[in-house]
Amino acid sequence: MTDTVVAATEQPHCVFDAKDFSSGAHPVWCPGCGDYGVLASLERALAKQGRPPHEVVLVSGIGCSSRLPGYMSTYGFHGVHGRALPVATGLKLTRPDLEVIAVGGDGDGYSIGGNHFIHACRRNVDMLYLVMDNRVYGMTKGQPSPTTEADWDSDIAPGGIGLRPFNPLAVAVASGANYVARGFSGDPNGLADLIVDAIRWPGFAFIEVLSPCVTFRPEQREWKKMVRPSAISIERDRAAATALVLADDGFSMGVLYRGDRASVAPALKPEITVADVEREFMVAV
Amino acid sequence: MTAGAVFLRAAAHAGYYGMMTQLFGAQVRGGESASLVQVSTTPIETQPDCYDLFVALDWDKVEQFAAEIPLDGNSIILADPAEGPVPAGIAKSKGCVIALAMNDPNDNKLARALRGKRVNMFAAGAVCALTGIGGDDVKAAIDNIFEGKGADLIAANAAGATLGAQAAPALALDLRLDPPQKAARWLINGNQAVAFGALRGGVRFVGCYPITPATDLVEWLAPHLIKLGGRLVLGEDELASVNMTLGASYGGTPAMTVTSGPGFSLMIETLGLAVAAEIPFVLVDVMRAGPSTGIASKTEQSDINLAVYGGHGDAPRIVLAPVSVADCVNTGEYAVYVAESLQTPVIVLSDQALGQATTVIDPSSDRPAPLKRRVNGIAPGKPFKRYATGGEPVTPMPLPGTPHLEWVAEGLTHNEAGLPASGAAMHVAQIEKRAKKIRQFEPGEHWGEVWGEGDVAIIAIGSTIGPAREAAARLAASGQKVRVIALRVLSPLPLAALARALAGVRRIVVIEQNHGAQLYHYLLGHKAIPPGAESVARPGPAPFRPSEIASYVV
Repeated sequence: MTDTVVAATEQPHCVFDAKDFSSGAHPVWCPGCGDYGVLASLERALAKQGRPPHEVVLVSGIGCSSRLPGYMSTYGFHGVHGRALPVATGLKLTRPDLEVIAVGGDGDGYSIGGNHFIHACRRNVDMLYLVMDNRVYGMTKGQPSPTTEADWDSDIAPGGIGLRPFNPLAVAVASGANYVARGFSGDPNGLADLIVDAIRWPGFAFIEVLSPCVTFRPEQREWKKMVRPSAISIERDRAAATALVLADDGFSMGVLYRGDRASVAPALKPEITVADVEREFMVAV
Repeated sequence: MTAGAVFLRAAAHAGYYGMMTQLFGAQVRGGESASLVQVSTTPIETQPDCYDLFVALDWDKVEQFAAEIPLDGNSIILADPAEGPVPAGIAKSKGCVIALAMNDPNDNKLARALRGKRVNMFAAGAVCALTGIGGDDVKAAIDNIFEGKGADLIAANAAGATLGAQAAPALALDLRLDPPQKAARWLINGNQAVAFGALRGGVRFVGCYPITPATDLVEWLAPHLIKLGGRLVLGEDELASVNMTLGASYGGTPAMTVTSGPGFSLMIETLGLAVAAEIPFVLVDVMRAGPSTGIASKTEQSDINLAVYGGHGDAPRIVLAPVSVADCVNTGEYAVYVAESLQTPVIVLSDQALGQATTVIDPSSDRPAPLKRRVNGIAPGKPFKRYATGGEPVTPMPLPGTPHLEWVAEGLTHNEAGLPASGAAMHVAQIEKRAKKIRQFEPGEHWGEVWGEGDVAIIAIGSTIGPAREAAARLAASGQKVRVIALRVLSPLPLAALARALAGVRRIVVIEQNHGAQLYHYLLGHKAIPPGAESVARPGPAPFRPSEIASYVV
């Protein structure tokens, strides 16, 4: 059945506009949600990257931000909660000709999908993983996520969850991601540039995007005053990058780490046939 | 272990059919184990009531296996007196104990480390000689099994086998087999057979996670799949494995995941996703004793409910169960075709007793007709309606990379274009679309098998079919005709074909290896059998013996 696969072209060959990447469907997101900015950034980035919508696949799990593939004109896969990265991995390994981008939220990616996050960084498959982090479960109406501050009060955890927030960038650096960056949904042009850079960087690229939830975390509107460009960006030195992201207050924007790990080698050209396999079972008399 | 493998392969070289199963203690590596080997001039699909010959290499912890190695007064027990007296659990069989010095008195630790215990090959050589299998066949088996381990090791093992063969005549035992009908055959186990069938069907991606007794399937598969240009990815867990499999399939590569009960439980959510989003893939479940971790290395048929019903929501799926080790090849291949052509998950329900039974079989022929995924033939129009309703339920599934036909695989209730929708009408329409695919599935001759005739019918699946057929053969020999009906398609139940197979039957016995009578209740629930049908349901791991079934049915 692999003979029916349409191989996508490798090189940019057309000029696209951001709206070419929009499906026109109306998002379920609340007015003012940061995810609108991320959607706009992705559309701009893909137009700039120059590959047509049919050569791009957006893969997601479950949650507000995971609805994003339906709002774009590309191919998409809206799967189960937390499993976007394995789906994207299986797809990219068998279809390296496609541009594969996994997207989702902090609950989807760092909690139920946390194990996949670690191992996707380890595998270093050439794709982009973009997490829209609003430090809350929005679709289920406001529960603390792994990145929520310890003292954030909520119905399910009165007085705060009391847990140290997860540091996704430190985990990504430590686990082997080849590109680690932080972006802000309120800066669509800057985020679009970051996305293009991440797509073009070989290996597993991870962008943590601060994307405010204006409904359950209205105080996150203040993020636009808190974000600033990162003073440094580390190349290759994983220890230095770890120190950088651990010391950071979470509001430094831009590329924080770029590595030089080789990505997964392509599958071999067939060396044998099924008939060769069959002969191994034969016992001559 | 190696002694059994040499005996089986030598018998295959000599032209015999055969089957070998293995028993292990609880240790991680090394320790006690047993090989159970049968050889015959006719195909073997069941473990026997009793073994004719028991060769004890040592007696360490052997009694734990006593229930699974049936012996009786006609059995011969060969043992080295140097290993001490016959343990009570074995002696109580009243088998005839014959002394045979197998250990090399000059053997030392270093020699053992260098070339393994000579006693293994000595025993294999002796058993081959007793059964009339020649030295050339034994040598061919040793050459194959120790290939790549060096000429010294092969020579040492061959010498051990020769010493065993030389010691055999002094035992004055006549265990010679009838001469075989010689033909080139396959030496294959059920796990390899399913894997090979899947490769033949076009599977080129496998996502998996280690789990006994399915791991050896993927260990065999890995180098072959890679050399065929495919990919095997070891996931971080079963959730990853099955979702990687879906991702690969979405891209157009026929894909499979392989697991056993505990892993299958973890994969259930994604099975529902594959149903809802209409993504084909094959899930092989090599059943083991459950629930929970159960007995990892031993067989049971207790995942029937999970395979047929597992998951939330209305999620109809195809479930196939190979009817023999040989059939694992064709059922594995057929599963790929059904999944691809219906754009739906197909579960292959194997079990440890099939999967880890190494058998000598006739080469697999009579392959299922290939079926492909429908990716083309799309009417123009925007938006593209991937999940169009009202027409043929299998709708075109364009591969990513195809211009102008972009679509989103969607696990939420969705409209025809694949966008989330929560209205009642579309929910019902999409459920009906998917149900119709399954309802219209016509397996034809693949539905199952019927052997024999008579007004008593035994219905069985998987590894209980073999002993049921042997029981039926014995009953037929004593004048009672019994037919055996094996279901290859478990879901959707092939009701019409099963009704035809049951025509003229006055008594039905459903035999299965689980405590809750899962198959029986499933058949009753669909009115595939009448309320008066009988159930013989007991847990594993002990295999059904032909005598157990015959004595119930008679």
